[in-house]
This record gives sequence, C-alpha cells and structure tokens, in this order.
Amino acid sequence: MSEVQTPTPAQSGANGTVLSRWLVRPEAPALVFLAVLLVAFSLSSDEFLSGSNLESILVSVAVLGTIALAVNQVILCGEIDISTGSMMGLCAVAAGAVATSTGGLILPLLTGVAVGALAGAANGLLVTLGRIPSIIVTLGMLYALRGVILLVTGGTWITGIPDGTRVLGTGSVLGIEYPVFVLLILFVVMEMVSRHSTWGRNVFAVGGNRRASRLAGLPIDRVRFLSFVLVGVFVGIASIIYLGRAGSVQTNTGTGLELQVVAAVVIGGTSISGGRGSTLAALTGAVLIGVILNGLILVGVPGIWQDAVLGALILLAVTTDVLRRRLLGDKS
Amino acid sequence: MRPSDEPGTGRAATAAEAPPVFRLRDVTKRFGGVTAVEGVGFDLRPGEVHALVGENGAGKSTLMKMVHGLYAPDEGTLEVGGEATEFSSPRDAEAAGIAMIPQELDLFPELSVTENLFVGRHRPRTRWGTLDRAAMRGKARERLGSLGVDLDVTASVKGLSAANQQIVAIARALVGEARAVVMDEPTASLTEREVRQLFRIISDLTSGGVGVVYISHRLEEVFTISDRITVLRDGHHITTAPAADLDAEELVRLMVGRPLNELFTRSPHSPGEVALEVRGLGRAGEFEEVDLVVRRSEIVGLSGLVGAGRSEVAQAIFGIRSPESGEIRIDGEVVRIKSPQAAMEKGIFYVPEERRSQGLILPFSIKNNITLSILDRIARFGFVPRTERQTADRFAKGLSIRGGSVSDPVSRLSGGNQQKVVLAKSLAREPSILLLDEPTRGIDVGAKSEIYRLIDDLAKEGKAILLISSELEEVLSMSDRVVVMREGRITGEFGRNEADQERVMTAATGGRDRPAPAGRGEEAPEDE
Repeated sequence: MSEVQTPTPAQSGANGTVLSRWLVRPEAPALVFLAVLLVAFSLSSDEFLSGSNLESILVSVAVLGTIALAVNQVILCGEIDISTGSMMGLCAVAAGAVATSTGGLILPLLTGVAVGALAGAANGLLVTLGRIPSIIVTLGMLYALRGVILLVTGGTWITGIPDGTRVLGTGSVLGIEYPVFVLLILFVVMEMVSRHSTWGRNVFAVGGNRRASRLAGLPIDRVRFLSFVLVGVFVGIASIIYLGRAGSVQTNTGTGLELQVVAAVVIGGTSISGGRGSTLAALTGAVLIGVILNGLILVGVPGIWQDAVLGALILLAVTTDVLRRRLLGDKS
Repeated sequence: MRPSDEPGTGRAATAAEAPPVFRLRDVTKRFGGVTAVEGVGFDLRPGEVHALVGENGAGKSTLMKMVHGLYAPDEGTLEVGGEATEFSSPRDAEAAGIAMIPQELDLFPELSVTENLFVGRHRPRTRWGTLDRAAMRGKARERLGSLGVDLDVTASVKGLSAANQQIVAIARALVGEARAVVMDEPTASLTEREVRQLFRIISDLTSGGVGVVYISHRLEEVFTISDRITVLRDGHHITTAPAADLDAEELVRLMVGRPLNELFTRSPHSPGEVALEVRGLGRAGEFEEVDLVVRRSEIVGLSGLVGAGRSEVAQAIFGIRSPESGEIRIDGEVVRIKSPQAAMEKGIFYVPEERRSQGLILPFSIKNNITLSILDRIARFGFVPRTERQTADRFAKGLSIRGGSVSDPVSRLSGGNQQKVVLAKSLAREPSILLLDEPTRGIDVGAKSEIYRLIDDLAKEGKAILLISSELEEVLSMSDRVVVMREGRITGEFGRNEADQERVMTAATGGRDRPAPAGRGEEAPEDE
C-alpha cells in the first residue's frame, strides 16, 4: 500500500483498504492493463481515441465477448469448453439456411439458439452423466461439429443473407450499434445472474470445491450441465451477430474462435482452475483483445505480430495472477 | 505469556553425556499473524526415543518441520551435532542424517517398492548408463531385510497394507546415514500387531545409536516406547521429562492445560423415539452387517481405529455411497437415500471430517459458506434474497464465530472458527439427525470446548447425533451410548455407564495384540 499516492496522510489508511480490496478483485489487473493500453495507444495514434474507433473495437469483439460471457461460467465451475468455434459455425450455418429461405430475425435467431443449446446440452451430458473430462468432450465436439458443417453444406458457402436478418450486425438502437448493445445487455444479465442467482452462486461453489459442494447437497451435475447449455445459447445469439456482420457463412466460420474465447476469459482474470473470477473479467478480457488487435494495426505493427502479442499477453496474465495472489491473497 | 518455558534441556545432566543429535534453541515460527511455535527448546540424544505430545495444533508438526528443513525458524537456532545449522530444504536435513516419516506417507502408490526406495536418491547404473534394476532390487531387499521384513520389492506400493507401506517409508528414510528419525503419528492406521512390529524396528534403530522422535496421540504407546517426553501446548514448551517420571493422568493434564472434565459439557438427556435406524447395512470391502440406532436427544459415539469403516457408514446414510445390503429407517420408515440432497430432505446432515477439502468453499465468504445448503430454500424465483445476510449473521452469532464479519473470506478464520462455520452450514438446514465426523479434529482447546457445548445443546433440543471420533476421551465424555467398529463391523455397544477406555479399546482392536501397559518394561516384544 506504500505505492498509493493519497492527498492527505489521514486518508491513506482508508484509501489503502479500498484500493487493496479492489486489487484483489479478479479483473483488476486486466482493467489496469486496459487503461495503460488505452493511454499508450491514444498517445501514439490520433485516430485511436476517436468515438467511432472505440465503438468499432467493441463491435469487433461482440461475438467474442458474447461467447466469453458464457464460457466464463463454464470455467468458473471448474470445466472448460473449447468447442465454441465449430459450434458458432454450425449455428451460423443453420441460422443462415433458415434466413435465406424465410428471412426475418426471429426464426433464424431461434434456430441458431436451438442448435447451440442442443450442442451445449450434448457437451453437458457427456461431461456430467458420462463423467468424461470436459476438455476431451469439447475437443471431440470441436472436430465433430466442424465435420457436420462440411457434411451439411457440402463445402459451399451460404450467401445472400437477407437484410432483415442482418439487423443485429448492421443496425443500431439508441445511437448504439446493435452488436455492442446486445453485448452490453448480455453482460448486465450475466452480472445479475452470476451475483444474485442461486445458480450463479452455485457455479462459484462447484468450481471452488466440488467435493464440499456435493457434501453440501448442491446439484453439481445440474449446475455444470446448465453452464454448458448456456454456452450453446450464447453461441447461438453470437452467430446471428456474425451473420449480420459478415452477410455470409463459410465452412471455416468460427475457426480458432474457441481459443480466443478461453484467452479472453483467462486474460480478464477468471481463474482457469475455477471458483474465482467475474463476469466483468470475461468482458474486460474480450475488450482487451479487441483493443490490442485494433491498436497494433493503428500503430502500424504488421499483422503477423498479432498472434505472438496475444500469446505473450496470455502468459503475462497468468503470471500476474499468480504473483498477485502471492502478494495479496496469501497475506493472511 | 506463559511463565517458565523451561527449555528441553533441564534434565540432560542425569543421562548419558553424548552430545545431542540435534537441538532446537528457543525457536519461534509464525504464519502470518498466527504464532505456531514460540520459544520452544527440544533436543534429541543418540539412541533415545523422545516422544513429542500435545493436542492437535499444539505445534508438534511445525516444530519437527523446522528440524527437517521444511520451515526455517523465525527466531532461535537449530544445532546439529553441536553446530548451528540452517537447512534450506529437506534434502539438506537428510544429508545431515535427519529423516522424517510424515503422517501422510509421501510414497508413490503406482510405483514399485524398489522404485519408491530410490526416488530422489542415487540410483545404481549399468556401464551403459541405464538404470541397474537388478542392483536396485538387491539393495531394496537388503534394506528391507535389515528391518526384519520380507516384501516383494517389485510389487506396487498401493497394494501393500498400511503397515508395510509404513515400513517402506521407514526404509526410504533410512537410506544413507540416518542419525535421527522423526515419526509423525506412525501408528494411526496400524493394528496392534503391526504396532509391535514397528516398535521392534524402533528399538533396533535406537540400539544402533539412532535417535527417534515419536509424535503420537496414543499415550499408552508413548509410555511403552519412549525414554523422554516433551509436552507442547498452544505452541509453547510445557515440560520435558523422563517417561518414568510421568503418568498418563499427569500427561493429559499437561497437554490439555486443565482437567478433562472442564473441557466437556454434558448435561442429562432423555433420549426419545428412534430417529435413525440402520439394519444389516453392508457395502463390499467397507462395512457389513452394521446395525445402529440413534434416538432423539441422544448422542451416540461411534468409536474405532482409523479405517474401521465409521466414516463410510455415515456417508452411506448420507447418500454418498450406496449400500449394497441392509436398510435405513428414518422415524421408523424405510428410506432409500441416493444423494446428499435426498438425505437433507429427510432431515439428515453429515459434517465431514476434512474441514478444508470437504467442508468449506475456501474462496467464499463466511456468509456464503453458511447459506450454501439453504440457498434453494431461501431463494425467490431462483435469486438469493437480501435476508441471506441476516440468516448468516444469526448463525455466526449463535455459534460465536469470531475473527471477522460474515462478509470476510472464510479462509481468514482460525481452524476452530472454520469448523464452527461448517457446523453453522449444517444447522442452517435444520436437520433432525446430525452425523458428525471428527468434529473437533485439529482445532484448539477453546474452540473444542465450545463445540462440545454446542453438541450438548443440540442433543438437548431433541436432535439425534452420531458422533464419530477417534479421540477416546471425547467419545466417552460426550456420548449417551458408545458403539465400536472394527474392520467394518460393529464389535461393541456400551451404555454410558458401562463404557470405559478398556472396553472400548478392546472392542476396537479385537482384544488381542494389545501392547504391554505402561511401566511393564516390555519394550520390544520378541517376534517368533
């Protein structure tokens, strides 16, 4: 606490506690890092801080962020889901097919959500009833669903998504572009659910100590199953945003997304071993990734550096988390 | 704080003048704000068995971990062979000839006996540079042979009996020039016959000049095997004296710091109707033919050695293990309980023995731990209401949980207060039948006494209580009835007035192979 600059000595005690309390929050380092990056990028590029650029960053991470909000819950309860890339692809294929034949927003949305929920339920059943480690289940699902995409589409693209369906990617409401609007709404919903619902509480409990949770009578299978289904539902919603923005679906849609999602959650500050983290962490992590990718381009760093920077960031995030816990958490 | 912390050197002049193998001088060790050991002196002479006794949390293990290089003392010094020494790791300690056999054996269950003996040691090589397995097996046999045992050195350790695992651990510790061996509760899971074998090994060691530190809760064994006894209490050195100068009653008084009858609270109960009845309960390899009755307002003590199947029976009643035979009746009705949720619906709650790994969600606040099992009851439309905090406060106050407000992390509390949180969690669910598994393990005397009073109050309120405990005094002092298990079967049942230490121990051990009582001098019984 000695590094804190406080206006008067008398306040330093109270401020110190508030600050240290804030610092133990899981998303704190990511938020600090985000602030540092925002300052750095805006100093080195004039365009960066413009309102339209900031909004375009948020638009660009809407799909990633939406899925990260749900995968965050899976990771919090001590599991993992790396099937979301292919799942998003399949949802987009299904929703796109419906959209090209019927148009409109609701039917494609329901289709995407239903397909996602089914895939998520399959993941959840295999993990809970099948007692198979989630990393294996969702790895299998990652390949299987990509296979289904190829079989269903026969390798061809789905194009000509009608404008009525694309509204979630192109339109805006209250002056906010729809993808950002959807992301923020879902964030608020998840924040409420995670903090105040019994399921949200149980997710933390199961991830924090599964054995104790079982002995306390918590429905640990239901808690985990629902988190996998939630991922499916959010992937379904994200696929409609994707459809709107891209206007077409390719057979490789969503490839690599699954790891970006996990990266966002972990960079944001949710512990990969479960039980510790927050909804804000997932959002922060997604925004951080968007800011970095956007900022690097504006500053003129060649695109080939993106993966290296992202990778370094993940390692940095995990290391900070460990160090911070040693400094703050284990003090007492 | 405590007056006259006589260092453990007081009576050294009367014994042989050989310099001690090691000596701790006024060592202090703190963890955060908690002082685990304060100003303690302890020394070990060659060829002696020096018992280290004290209640859970008295600082015995912490003290020995400083000798073994796991912790460095914050204050005070460690001398080995007369010279001040600092160990930075157990490897240093082992190089200096100090070995430790921890309570939880640090063996590799999947590896063979031979491989276990050579983990972290120099392994013989063939001239090609590969491991010389034949030589390793030969050395392993030799070493086990010197301990007087004949084991299949190629067998994997997980298949060995508890006693043989203990022997492998000892053999492993004795590699090289061991001059001191620290044994932490070595007999916790041994039968009486195996204890005798261990004692024979110990006496072989000491006659070869090796000093042995013997940490144990079993006072009978302590008097049988040890030359000197050091008592710790709440991290302080209380006394060091020749075993012959102490008796069991005196020793208990020194350990507890007050007469036992002040520790326990026991008011007259009038047991009512049968709340829980178990008939012929069995599960292969764990327990069989278990009959058990617990009435309202009754505390039934379930005693036995570690591994006798007591926890398993309780867990079967709670729906964690499904019994293969027999039936469970609640209030006279046969029930089939398949999950903890189902058990709680029937009014049963099981308080597990491992507080940190089974009882608490450590990252959670005190409040969230207390309300863990009632969230679904108090929730409105799936959301947790604001009244949650009042509920948590009520239980925190009722159980006098001290050390923080209910929104503080539970991990900050002391062991005793954490245990109160675990109990609060179960009481919040308002069970009529409580299965308490070692409810006072590893907590300080003050908290123990509070928990005994709580258990007594609960029984007075009409709850049916099954108290599983390995501490004989606890079972005898708290129970209306004592049921004893051995090797998965009920082997004795005694009313409050018939239950005594002798009877319960006889039932728990099968009445054979009992070690010689204190003072008979039968230190190392011959093995045919």
